[in-house]
Amino acid sequence: MDLTLDDEQQMLADTARAFVDRSCPPEVARALDAGAREPNPWSVIAGAGWAGLAVPEEHGGAGRGMTEVVVVAEQLGRGPVPSPLIATTALAALPILWLGSDEQRRRWLPELARGTRVGTLALLEDGMRDEWDVIGVRSVPTLSGTKILVPWTSAAALMLVATADGLRVVESAPPAVCAAAHDSLGGDPLATVVFDRADSEPLGRPEDARAAIERAVDHAAIAQLAYTVGVAERALELSVQHANGRQQFGRPIGSFQAVAHRCADMRVDIDACRYLAYQAAWSLDQNRPADIPVAAAKAFANEAMRRVCRHAHQVHGAIGFSTEHDLHLFTRRAKAFELSYGSRAHHRERLACAMGLDPRP
Amino acid sequence: MDFAFTEEEDAFRTELRAFLDTQLPDWWRGMFVDDERAIPFTREMCRMLAERGWLTLAWPPEHGGAGASVWMQTVLREEMWAREEPRGPQYMNLNYIGPLLMRFGTPEQQERFLPPMARGEVIWTQGFSEPDAGSDLASLTTRAEDHRDHFVVNGQKIWSSYADAPADWCLLLVRTDPQAPKRRGISVLLVDLATPGITVRPIDTMAGPHEFNEIFFDDVTVPRDCLLGPQNEGWDLVIAGLTLERVGVARYARAGRIIELLVAHVNETGRAGEPAVRDQLADLRARYEAARLLSYRALSMQAAGEDPRVEASIARIHNTQLEQEVGHAGLELLGPAAQLCAGDALAPLRGEIHRQWVRNIPTTVAAGTLEIQKNIVAGALGLPR
Repeated sequence: MDLTLDDEQQMLADTARAFVDRSCPPEVARALDAGAREPNPWSVIAGAGWAGLAVPEEHGGAGRGMTEVVVVAEQLGRGPVPSPLIATTALAALPILWLGSDEQRRRWLPELARGTRVGTLALLEDGMRDEWDVIGVRSVPTLSGTKILVPWTSAAALMLVATADGLRVVESAPPAVCAAAHDSLGGDPLATVVFDRADSEPLGRPEDARAAIERAVDHAAIAQLAYTVGVAERALELSVQHANGRQQFGRPIGSFQAVAHRCADMRVDIDACRYLAYQAAWSLDQNRPADIPVAAAKAFANEAMRRVCRHAHQVHGAIGFSTEHDLHLFTRRAKAFELSYGSRAHHRERLACAMGLDPRP
Repeated sequence: MDFAFTEEEDAFRTELRAFLDTQLPDWWRGMFVDDERAIPFTREMCRMLAERGWLTLAWPPEHGGAGASVWMQTVLREEMWAREEPRGPQYMNLNYIGPLLMRFGTPEQQERFLPPMARGEVIWTQGFSEPDAGSDLASLTTRAEDHRDHFVVNGQKIWSSYADAPADWCLLLVRTDPQAPKRRGISVLLVDLATPGITVRPIDTMAGPHEFNEIFFDDVTVPRDCLLGPQNEGWDLVIAGLTLERVGVARYARAGRIIELLVAHVNETGRAGEPAVRDQLADLRARYEAARLLSYRALSMQAAGEDPRVEASIARIHNTQLEQEVGHAGLELLGPAAQLCAGDALAPLRGEIHRQWVRNIPTTVAAGTLEIQKNIVAGALGLPR
């Protein structure tokens, strides 16, 4: 048992932190959220090799694992730095690694690992309750139908598509594949993608698709949790800054215990989320049973992040609601995390099963 | 990073469980029960553990320990706490009173006090709180007058755990310089409770006997060689001791065992399919994971030679609230019959959940209230005091 980062992980964290502090002030997120294309942190992230952290060396990656992805993601969350790191790693590269033929791995993994190509997964459909619900879109005889909430789509992206006939990979462009950006809460850019008799090729056997999708969603959930830990960390920093600077009744409001304790509560929740994320990432890396670590992490964090944001806004007062202040950049992302990759109820039910609670009446 | 115990640690856990299965009598329900056999049994248990080298497992060899890792010690703590701490009051010796002596004691003091602890023969209590010095511990007024070769102590302590066990010795905080700023005039004395002038008065509590006491000191003579650490600089010892105490108890381990009991209970009674039951038990499990990991974080720091002062408070905030919540949720789940105490034949799960609830009412008050823990966390964030 050792919950400290090893030297390489610490160096990775320090490098990522320095990059965020130096090159990614909140203005970058503001610009990218508003649709700007520059500055693009992805070139730096890809250049640093972070897109390939969880990809084996033989496929052009660094041969590390989700634990390292989590270490980097947490620092990026502090920006917040928008990037397709998690989608490319967890939703595209890893399923290709698990299910792809040797030829498919050789074709796609090196460019995903280098970040010269973005990867994503089209999973959700209008009417699906969540990521685990029944998929309607068919790919037999050809791929046609509509996917929603697809992160980081672009003409150049390599798109995995979850269909009722298995996982498919799509490389074609309009008119067979048309994406339209959603107006969404914040964080990852999301789009509706319409497939019209699109060319696609199968990834693995159809009967293996469900397990791979669920595993990919687990990986994405934990990386996104780590990113959100960074998001929450910055919300706490902003809150402490505000509590120290803001004077009322002739003293800094942070000297009031009611305010100070909200900040302490944030620290207490954020630290729990961080180590839950580490434990889950480590369990995934070690191929250990992941139901309890992943479900505990997501179930706890969904609730904890609500508390953290509530405290941050309460400490900030009215200014926190203003988009002139940066806090909203973080609040939006924390809520987007909560609404992705499984609700509290979903993960608690999963925990209940893993704990041996017999569902029969 | 590594989130698993080693094979050696797992094997030790198995061995320890088998030992406890054999040695714990059927009637054993922990030390906070109205059973005269409890405290003598804990003394016997400590002697047995000492024989096997398990009592001072993680103490360094020069102090009679086996020099085992923090994690072997953690396995021991978890198994002990999950089984109602059969080491009884002596867990405090092992967790922080002994280590404080190792850090701050003179060679003579270590030679004198550590071996009896290592043999499991001595019960220590602590004299910290006073009627008017609780959360504001540094305002304590129990006086120790310096008479060169000895001190004369006058005052009153309260909430001293196990003093009526009876305890043999007391780790006592006293004011030795009334003129100094309040944190600077405090000293730590090692006091033989058999000294004339000492009166112990048990306080009846909701949790039953052998828990809290008042201790009165009336012109009590304490030899100078029983001063621990530098005179008037005892506050640093208090801080070090409280950190050790906060991470020393594997509270999550008992919460985890109660959760397992509840899972088995709802499976047996056919209630495991109820959505509210599933949701509640899963929530407790998620919180258990958080509390356990934050304890391990503090322990990882200790293992690396760092002082996890703030991290110990964060772990304690999670652990104490988890212990309380497990009790509340368990009682709710058991329904109206959960009102029945352990003594009633119809008490569900032999009253164990009832005990979990009642004994944890003061958990967020002891060793620094929840609010004091939050003050420590807020202070570390850089908020004004």
